[in-house]
Amino acid sequence: MSMTSVSGGMREPLPAPAREYHFSEEAVAELENIVTHYPERKAACLPALWIAQREYGGYLTPTAIQEVADRLGLSMQEVEGVATFYTMYNLRPRGRHHLEVCTCLTCAVMGAYEVVHTLEHELGVGIGQTTKDGEFTLSEAECLDYCGAATVMQVGDKYFTNLTAGNVMNLIEELRKSPDYTPAKLADSIVKVHIAGSSETGGGSYKPEDLG
Amino acid sequence: MAELNLLFKDRNVPGIENLDVYEAHGGYQGLKKALAMDRQAVIDDIKTSGLRGRGGAGFPTWIKWNGMPKNYDKPHYIICNADEGEPGTYKDRELMLKAAHTLVEGMIIAAYATHSIAGFVYIRGEYVQPAWQVRKAIDQAYKAGYLGKNILGVEGFNFDLYIQMGGGSYECGEESALMSSLMGERGNPRLKFPHAPLPVVEGVWKSPTLINNVETYCAATWIIANGGAEYAKYGTERSKGSKVMSVSGHVARPANFEIELGTPLMELIDMAGGVINGRLKAVIPGGSSVQIMTAEQCKKINLDYESCAANGTLLGSGGFMVFNDLTDVPLLMKRTAEFYMHESCGKCTPCREGTRWIFKILDRITSGAGREGDIELLLDVCSQVDGRSYCGLGDAAAWPIVGAIKAFRPEFEYWIANKRSPVGPRHVPPSPEVVNPLLALTAV
Repeated sequence: MSMTSVSGGMREPLPAPAREYHFSEEAVAELENIVTHYPERKAACLPALWIAQREYGGYLTPTAIQEVADRLGLSMQEVEGVATFYTMYNLRPRGRHHLEVCTCLTCAVMGAYEVVHTLEHELGVGIGQTTKDGEFTLSEAECLDYCGAATVMQVGDKYFTNLTAGNVMNLIEELRKSPDYTPAKLADSIVKVHIAGSSETGGGSYKPEDLG
Repeated sequence: MAELNLLFKDRNVPGIENLDVYEAHGGYQGLKKALAMDRQAVIDDIKTSGLRGRGGAGFPTWIKWNGMPKNYDKPHYIICNADEGEPGTYKDRELMLKAAHTLVEGMIIAAYATHSIAGFVYIRGEYVQPAWQVRKAIDQAYKAGYLGKNILGVEGFNFDLYIQMGGGSYECGEESALMSSLMGERGNPRLKFPHAPLPVVEGVWKSPTLINNVETYCAATWIIANGGAEYAKYGTERSKGSKVMSVSGHVARPANFEIELGTPLMELIDMAGGVINGRLKAVIPGGSSVQIMTAEQCKKINLDYESCAANGTLLGSGGFMVFNDLTDVPLLMKRTAEFYMHESCGKCTPCREGTRWIFKILDRITSGAGREGDIELLLDVCSQVDGRSYCGLGDAAAWPIVGAIKAFRPEFEYWIANKRSPVGPRHVPPSPEVVNPLLALTAV
């Protein structure tokens, strides 16, 4: 039996697929900065995925995961393993606003399911679905840990609090007019909080009056 | 035994998030005092104070600090576990928003005591606003010379502090899973001592690592500034000092209350304005992982580690949830089981499969499809998860269910026998007139 028939003619490795890199120069600089925080390059995997999520418009395409893997010297499978473990990495596109309503313990007894049902009814979507106009994706979140202000919903990098079935649609109307709470903005805020000195340059959407 | 604001003493001072205001209120006096002491003397002061870890386990803090090697052939790291995930708990959120400088100072003191070169504040991904406060505190500390090289003129004391945000995972609040996540991996845990080395021997990057909770570092700052003996004046024999309790649920004024350890449980409910829309039915005093207590049991409990344990629950993280008599306990436990099922990392079979089965059985019971023998089945599955999983998440998933069946078994039996809730059609939210200090429709 010759080598050719056993291996099916695949003795040479396949050529590498074409890589399209989308990271801007600023993103590359941010990544290289964050990499210096750790003794190993691969340890920057989580922050790198946040950068990728921002650069790729709020969710991680397979190309995004490949780019992170290439830049950190990891395999795509390793990075995909990390990306699929954590709930905040979007593996599918989200609407302009990702409405994550906490329905855990305290929120549940404080009317969270009523809030979810109101949103489902008014927006015409089920859990996990996006409205036809691409504006809202509705999800249930596990405990967001601001139980004293139940019911809590996270949109972008902010917690919206004391929601009830009666007042949540007012918030939805305000969100329609706002540019600030998109998935890409959330990723950007998270990336910048890793960078030393960024609070002085006003990075992220932090404002002193945001104190709880 | 009452409210005791040590960590939160400057909570309402306007501008406390700025370094100059913090310093004007005694900030960084603790660090200056520590730097004038021997490293071992700092650890001994923590021992005198009797501080126990405030993340949930209550492990004596001085043992961890003292456990870091005294030789420095490997780099030492310290980590702040700011991955507050335990349902019911929001104390670290407010500590980071209002006392970020206290946290940073506490980590620098710990770095001095354990001769660490780098620290990480691992903050859960959802806590973006608190993270920005920590970012600001770190940036201001660097500017003032409290971080970096040769801190405050102490030759050779170099310490850098970084933030890493999580990606959404309760399991990453478990210290070994946190270490995996910090190193850029999936949040899978490791075995605990004695099957694996302690983090202080071999933690991140095979180097000695100290991990403590946000509240623990903040308490350390207060202790070093005021003396361990002062801290030990508060609390009980074996539970010293103060604990921040996050009160939520059916109370008039849910908020974080810092109390002296040993305060009677019912007093905390009064501090929070008492029960609303009904009578007190149950309390979960320490986060979703601890056993639920009936109203009768609550009257006997003091909020310290020993009293809670003696009554069959745990002080835990201090996530104090109050439920009135319109609450359906099996439904509550179903949602709890759903939480653990979602958050299980999937590594070990008892937890991965067990949490799913616990949820499925409870879902069946609370949809009116419960069968004779389901309660025994549930207890059996819980016993196969508790103590048999790779990390504490398995235990945390089993304890509340076993505790709820022990305290409220008739409700589970009613659901199975009658195929409907013993309480009513659904949970009732409070009326909008309730005064709530956290009230705001807009962003926080």
